[in-house]
Amino acid sequence: MKQTNHNEVDLLLRSLARARETAAWQSSAEAGDIEGISAAHLDADELNSYAEGVAPAAARARYIEHLADCAACRGIVVGLSQAAGVANRLEVPEQKGGASFWQKLGALLSPPVLRIAVSALVLIAVVGIGFVALRQKGGSEFVAQNEPKPAGLPTAQNNIKPPVNPTPELQPKTGGELFSVTPSESPDKRQAAAGKTAGAEEAPPATIAKAVPKDAGSSVNGADAREVQPFAREPKAEVPSTPMFDTEKSAGVAKEQPVKREDRSRDQDEVLRNEGDDIHGPNRARNAPAPAATQRSGLTLGRGGPSSMEKSKKAAEAETRTVMGRQFTREGDAWVDVAYDSSRATVRLSRGSDQFRALVADEPGIRTIAEQLNGVVIVVWKGRAYRIQ
Amino acid sequence: MNQRTEQIETLFAEGAGRLLRRAADNHGLTAETLIPRVKSAVAKYILRDEPQAKSAAVEEFIDKLQADDLCLIVACELGNQRAWSDLVERFSATVRSAARSASSNEESAEDLAQSIWAELHGLRLRDDGKPAGKLAYYSGRGSLAGWLRAVVAQLAIDQHRKQSRLVQTEEDADFDRIIQRGEEETSWSGHGATPNPELQISTKLTGAQLQKALAEAIKQMSGEDRLLVKLYYFDGLRLREAGAVLGVHEATASRRLTRIHSELRQQVEKVLIEQEGWTKAEAERAFSEEALTLEADIEPLLTGETVLMKKENEVAG
Repeated sequence: MKQTNHNEVDLLLRSLARARETAAWQSSAEAGDIEGISAAHLDADELNSYAEGVAPAAARARYIEHLADCAACRGIVVGLSQAAGVANRLEVPEQKGGASFWQKLGALLSPPVLRIAVSALVLIAVVGIGFVALRQKGGSEFVAQNEPKPAGLPTAQNNIKPPVNPTPELQPKTGGELFSVTPSESPDKRQAAAGKTAGAEEAPPATIAKAVPKDAGSSVNGADAREVQPFAREPKAEVPSTPMFDTEKSAGVAKEQPVKREDRSRDQDEVLRNEGDDIHGPNRARNAPAPAATQRSGLTLGRGGPSSMEKSKKAAEAETRTVMGRQFTREGDAWVDVAYDSSRATVRLSRGSDQFRALVADEPGIRTIAEQLNGVVIVVWKGRAYRIQ
Repeated sequence: MNQRTEQIETLFAEGAGRLLRRAADNHGLTAETLIPRVKSAVAKYILRDEPQAKSAAVEEFIDKLQADDLCLIVACELGNQRAWSDLVERFSATVRSAARSASSNEESAEDLAQSIWAELHGLRLRDDGKPAGKLAYYSGRGSLAGWLRAVVAQLAIDQHRKQSRLVQTEEDADFDRIIQRGEEETSWSGHGATPNPELQISTKLTGAQLQKALAEAIKQMSGEDRLLVKLYYFDGLRLREAGAVLGVHEATASRRLTRIHSELRQQVEKVLIEQEGWTKAEAERAFSEEALTLEADIEPLLTGETVLMKKENEVAG
């Protein structure tokens, strides 16, 4: 309604201005006389002092009364104002503000500003909390990867929680806390959760992590930590330090051999962390059932109670395969061509996919490799790297 | 000579002395030569409106005079050739620029620029034997460049009038004519053909009465509000430009204009009700109908202008 009134008066004023123009021209023509700038008009000095804004207040009010009714003087003043750049000067006080402190404070605390400010604060708080939570989680995992192996902690892995769902509350603040947990509770949980397959049981990992001093590698980000995480989960040495006579129990017992496995994991971890390739990502654990079989075989080998050297040798043999004249090493759940360079671009293929079939049709050698090696295979063939899973 | 006069005279003398000292180049003037100029400036800007102005106000006024410009002009007026050369050298570009702005073509601009120097010096002699030039009217309150522009503009208007034989008309008289025509139901607004002649006449009558009431309402406004309306609607200035003339920011001008619209509407309704015997409902309906008619009538012409105004309001608001 207010806006409507505004528009109506606006239109009437425009109409009146047009009518006045017509009237002025008609009256001018009728008068037909010549008049100079009369004494009633403002002189040049007054016009200029008004235009430059230096006329005293009382004189200025007088000039305004005249200018409101005198088109000629008004025209001159308009020209003088524009020449003097008054409009530009007016920007300064308005922007830099002659406003007092309280006016500025009032403007700052005005409802529209507060609404935006509160929304922004809430958003920042949510993002901040989320960031901190993620950082704590990622950071602790990372720290775990770099923990130097503390000596004399043979049962440390007994305390390891299943890796599937590592939660911050399960992560001790220091490595000592984790290792201080009584070993007795861990095996029970492990056997209950670990289930029947050694692969699932072997997954422990990630949370081993937590047992590490946080000073290890602060320069590495959480993504790196996640990348290397699978190596902590995937112990390769399946040689138990104690004899095991029950196959069913072997998987569970294998977890009780953390030291050697952890040594190996950490060694591989160091290597692969340096490589930094995405094939070392967490998906590997899901895609590769191989470790379970490997572990079982390893455990079986261990039954006879071989010496540590023999165990190491056998373990090394178990980790290396040669197919089609190419040597592959076991890295986590993947068989990796020794010629593979992590900086090389890798083509990902799924067994059974059209792309895979097309490739093996052209390169039967790759088919042979894929058939002889289970799980993920990374092979370098004719200068190109393929990740087959 | 009473104490007040003595006090004022002392203020003039001391002020002239300070002014002379402030000037970078006083052109060999003495304080005595400046006192009359200072006195006339104070009388014009201070004492006319406030005869009992305080000494501090007078001193402040004198100390804000343009010392260099005033000394130059006084020296020119006294016939100092070096000062004249200095004036022409420093301000010929300003004069030419002002002449070009005030003229329709380069030739008339050049004529105007040339004639301005003669006007400044004065072709006739005053009673005291000095040239009756316009230099005597520079007070030093504003800049010399601005004053020269104003002199050029006034001279251009004079010359234009002489050439076109137009007469400067007072706008009050214009309004009176509009009002008179409103009463006589003239043909000021030729909006679209109405099928019903009675309705057409009625519409015209209503419009004329509204115009008359509006013109009266404008005349009753304060000088500053009236000036804003004239600058914006009658002179076609933008809000930014109109605000500059009034010495206020565009946003302030916009707010004032909104307030003026509201006040004008109330005033027009009041006039229509009290003087024409309308009811409030009739007045409101007349506003709406007239606005619709005008909108249809002038929209094609003003579309760009209205959009511009809305944008200005948005920016300013």
